[in-house]
Formats: sequence, structure tokens, C-alpha cells
Amino acid sequence: MGRISGLVPSRFLTLLAHLVIVITIFWTRDNNIQASLPPHFTSEEYEKEDSKLVTALSITLGLFLVELAGFFSGVSMFNSTQSLFSIGVHCCAAVSLAFFIFESWECSTYWCIFAFCSVLPACTEVMMFIAVFVLKKKSF
Amino acid sequence: MAPRGRRLSSISLEILLFLNGWYSATYFLLELFVFMYKGLLLPYPTANLVLDLVMLFLYLGIEIIRLFFATKGNLCQRMMPLAISLAMTFPSAMMAFYYLLLQTYVLRLEAVMSTILLLFCGLELVLEVITLTTFSRILRPY
Repeated sequence: MGRISGLVPSRFLTLLAHLVIVITIFWTRDNNIQASLPPHFTSEEYEKEDSKLVTALSITLGLFLVELAGFFSGVSMFNSTQSLFSIGVHCCAAVSLAFFIFESWECSTYWCIFAFCSVLPACTEVMMFIAVFVLKKKSF
Repeated sequence: MAPRGRRLSSISLEILLFLNGWYSATYFLLELFVFMYKGLLLPYPTANLVLDLVMLFLYLGIEIIRLFFATKGNLCQRMMPLAISLAMTFPSAMMAFYYLLLQTYVLRLEAVMSTILLLFCGLELVLEVITLTTFSRILRPY
């Protein structure tokens, strides 16, 4: 397509919504960690759960950087398939993470959301990078 | 289209301005809802709430003018609109700073959104300065 459609701003806004909620979870992870521990817990158990959740969140941020790099460098900005997939997946992520915060889900559910909604679009983004830079396929 | 050597507009700036327009619209709508939420839930002295709301509408006006002048200046390769937009980046950034730190009540969500807005303003500032120097070196000053 040779013109700007609605896909580009939608993709940017859903990406940003997901990012904003992930940053908010960094701040408010206390509730979720306490939800995944038994009623009486020691501080070592708390630290362990905390470090696991912080690792998951940090990897999420790293994968965000990959996707934003692909978006801003133009590699996948105008590719409709990748844009649609990204919009759908990040929308799901934003809604599930909103539930994660408000309903105080336990930390293991974050790993499910992470696998489906952060790893998948980052993988397709990397495939786009390979297609454009290695195989020299222009996708618009 | 201008020939190769004369195409001086900055494409990164154009992308940023386009996305900034959409982001500012979202930010404005979000802030309206957040003020409704805060006004109902938190103990606000009325004057503070009115001040914050008026600042929000002022911010919308400044942002629209700033982005309009910036895209026009960049695409038409004129320095004056770009300079006006550069000057308006400062009140815009101050507004975002106000919403980040100096408001009566700041929600976490507002803090994150205002930081992203400040990032946009900062990046646009740098790119606008670079574009202005490119224009002034090669074009006749208007």
C-alpha cells in the first residue's frame, strides 16, 4: 500500500498501552506477589517471587525494544499482516494485564500472558528483520 | 517532488510528529476520564480541579498549533514555522512536567503517560534543531 492507513497509529497506540501497563506493574507488583504466596510467608520466599516477576517484566521490556525498533526503523511499519497481528496481540495483553493488576492474579499467569503476547510479536518482528535485511524482500 | 539534492525534510521528524498527534489525542481523552475519576473519588479543593482542567484544554490548543506548524515547516522546507514550533515545544514540555510532578494528585498512569510525552517533546526538540540547521545551511533564510 502506498498510503498511510489507520493501521500505523493503531499499532503504535496499542503497543504503547501494553508498555504503559507493564511499567505500572513494575510499580505495583506487591499485591500480585502476595497473591502467589501462602498466607504466612518468609521474606526469602517473597524475594524469590519478586525476582522472578522482575525478570519476566524486564524481558518484556527488552522484547518491546525489539518491536519498537522494527516499527520505527520502517521494517514492519507498513506490513499489514504484522501490524494486524501486533494490534490484536497487544490489545489482548493490555486487557489481560489490566485484569492482572485489578484482580491480583498470581505471578504464574504473567508468564502465560508474556509467552503469548510478548514473545510471539517479537519473534515475528525478528522474522521481518531477517526478511528485509538478509533476504532483501521489500514488503510493501 | 523536489530533486534528490533538494529534499531536505527530515523523515524521522515527520514520523514522530504524526505519532505525536495521535498520542496527544489519546492523552487528552485519557486525562479527561482520569480527571472525572479523580474528581469523584479524591478530596479536591475546587479551585485546583478547575485549574488542572483549564490547563488541559490550554495544553490541547498549544499542542495542535505546535504539531501543525512543525509538519508544515518540515514538509515545505521553511524555517519560520519550524522555529515557531520549536518555541512552542517549551510550554508543551512544561505542561507535561506539571502533569508529571506538580499536580494536586498524580496517578501512576498519569506519571507514565506524561513521561512518554516528555520523551516525545525531547526527541522532537533535537530533531527540529538538526532540521533547522540543515535548512539554514542549504536554503536561503526566509
